[in-house]
Amino acid sequence: MISIQKITKSYTAGQNQVTALDSIDLTIAISEFVLVKGESGSGKSTLLFVLGGMLKPSSGGIVVNKRDLFSLSEKERAIYRAKEIGFVFQSYHLLPYLNAMDNILLLNKLDNIAISKEEVILIAEELGIKDRLYHKPSELSAGEKQRVALVRAMITKPSIILADEPTGNLDEKNTVEVLHYLKKFQDNGGTVVMVTHGNLADSYATRTVNLHKGKIKNKS
Amino acid sequence: MSGATSKLKIMLVFKEIIHRKFNFLMGLLAMITIVALVVAFYTITKATQDETRLLTRNMGFNVRIIPVASDMNQFWLQGYSDLTMSEKVVDKMIEQKSVNYSHLTATLHKRIHWRDKEIILSGISKEEREPMGSNKSKMIFAIPPGKVYLGYELAQQFNLAEGETITFFDKEFEVIKTLSEVGSEDDIRVYFDLATLQDLTNMKGRVNEVMALNCMCSTKNGDPLTELRKELAKIAPEAKVIMNSTIADARENQRKMTDKYFALLFPIILIICAIWLGSVAMGNVKDRTHEIGIMRALGFSAWKISSLFLQRAIVIGVVGSVLGFALGTLVSMNLGPKIFNVTMVAVDPVFNLLYLAVLLGPLFAVLASMLPIVWAVNQDSAKLLNEH
Ligand SMILES: Nc1ncnc2c1ncn2[C@@H]1O[C@H](COP(=O)(O)OP(=O)(O)O)[C@@H](O)[C@H]1O
Ligand SMILES: [Mg+2]
Repeated sequence: MISIQKITKSYTAGQNQVTALDSIDLTIAISEFVLVKGESGSGKSTLLFVLGGMLKPSSGGIVVNKRDLFSLSEKERAIYRAKEIGFVFQSYHLLPYLNAMDNILLLNKLDNIAISKEEVILIAEELGIKDRLYHKPSELSAGEKQRVALVRAMITKPSIILADEPTGNLDEKNTVEVLHYLKKFQDNGGTVVMVTHGNLADSYATRTVNLHKGKIKNKS
Repeated sequence: MSGATSKLKIMLVFKEIIHRKFNFLMGLLAMITIVALVVAFYTITKATQDETRLLTRNMGFNVRIIPVASDMNQFWLQGYSDLTMSEKVVDKMIEQKSVNYSHLTATLHKRIHWRDKEIILSGISKEEREPMGSNKSKMIFAIPPGKVYLGYELAQQFNLAEGETITFFDKEFEVIKTLSEVGSEDDIRVYFDLATLQDLTNMKGRVNEVMALNCMCSTKNGDPLTELRKELAKIAPEAKVIMNSTIADARENQRKMTDKYFALLFPIILIICAIWLGSVAMGNVKDRTHEIGIMRALGFSAWKISSLFLQRAIVIGVVGSVLGFALGTLVSMNLGPKIFNVTMVAVDPVFNLLYLAVLLGPLFAVLASMLPIVWAVNQDSAKLLNEH
């Protein structure tokens, strides 16, 4: 379970102080599929980074699976991300000099993680990119890249997937497929928090959170 | 960490290098420059030192140790000191370690009237003593007891040939060698084994002079004569030192000048190359902000990410050092003889420098890349992934 209490996050950009998240309370249960929506600059990405322990809030607390994230050390938070979190981004963030397989096997460099090529091939087959595994990102289509990123996010069997507009660069067919895999992850007990625009994801979600200028507008 | 994991890690470094060749080559260039400069300087210095040593050696002994009370006018006019000292002075000189000289040769000279001519009898110690452990080729000959070598002029004047027997102080000696002309007072010398001449002249254990060779390579304070005098005063007050200044001095001074210039330039070159390498590393880090961000998101610790950049710096350091060594050596071998006036000895590669470079080069590369790496891992990881 994720429990966010009175989280505020402000950035200082030069002279200006921007409040990206303004005293947010939010609780997400295990195996929920939560959509986060809102106009550009409303704080959606900031929320995901805070959830992932990547960004320390200015105030407030966040407890994930009974652990107070920001009372952990930096190193413990890295381990938390490695074990519990799978990130997926709009622009995939694959290392350009590694082929798809090596991008995924990169995780083997983390402590206590051992992924075999066989496992990668198994999941890649399920996502239909088995024959694309030995290609570099520059040789893959947008949909294929995002599927590689999905394999990378899911292969460590995290409990939570944080996806920041994962379908933002994809056509409808690929969007539906990505949503399908996220749904499948949720069906197997995973929690999904996904930032998105539009309505294509609505039918997959258990709930939508609307952000407006760093505040939650309504919960549905 | 398992072997497979670290293999993957270094593969990661190499794949990135191939992907961003230009940045790698720029870094490599900085590394090659600094190593090549240091190697070239050192190699040429070493060669000029060898050359100075050879020059000095070719000119014969340049250090003469004579009894302290010698009358210098008499000494210079006659060519040797009238006084004698114990040959033990050689042992004392072997024992001191602060001044570098070699080929210690004890000699006894006596001027006599022989067959209506003034000639010099010279006893030369059988062995040339060296400071502990060193083993050098002999500079002069060893004469068997009971035999003599004859200077060129004497052989001519008295029509003496090898194999003939001559008499000194009622003792007979076989001429086993007549020397070729050298163009100095040595041409009117009869050479004996030291002990033989000591017996002959009732001077057992006594010598007029110890000849030696100082390499003219600088000592601690760069003034071998002053140091040798200081040392000798301590250990053998009965003796004093005279040193023959030669063109070796000039060479030595030339080298010291180059040393001085380099001592001035080296820190500047080092700093320039460090800044160069550092900014190239910064360029690499900036190119890879997303990469660093995603690694943080995947759960890589700051240290793990730094280690990738450190390994990259080490690769640059090692490869740059090897290539820099090769370049520096080639340059000094080709330019050394012309520009630095090294004509008598070959400019040889100093392979110890390669080992040193391969050790210190990576350290330099790591230090120069430190700032960008620290900057990178201290960036707000969320900011690194900002997609706006
Ligand atoms: N690193 C940063 N420094 C300064 N301001 C930032 C930074 N990241 C985000 N912001 C600002 O915070 C607000 C929320 O940003 P973000 O969470 O990225 O919004 P969204 O993802 O909803 O578009 C925006 O006004 C944005 O400009
Ligand atoms: Mg965003």
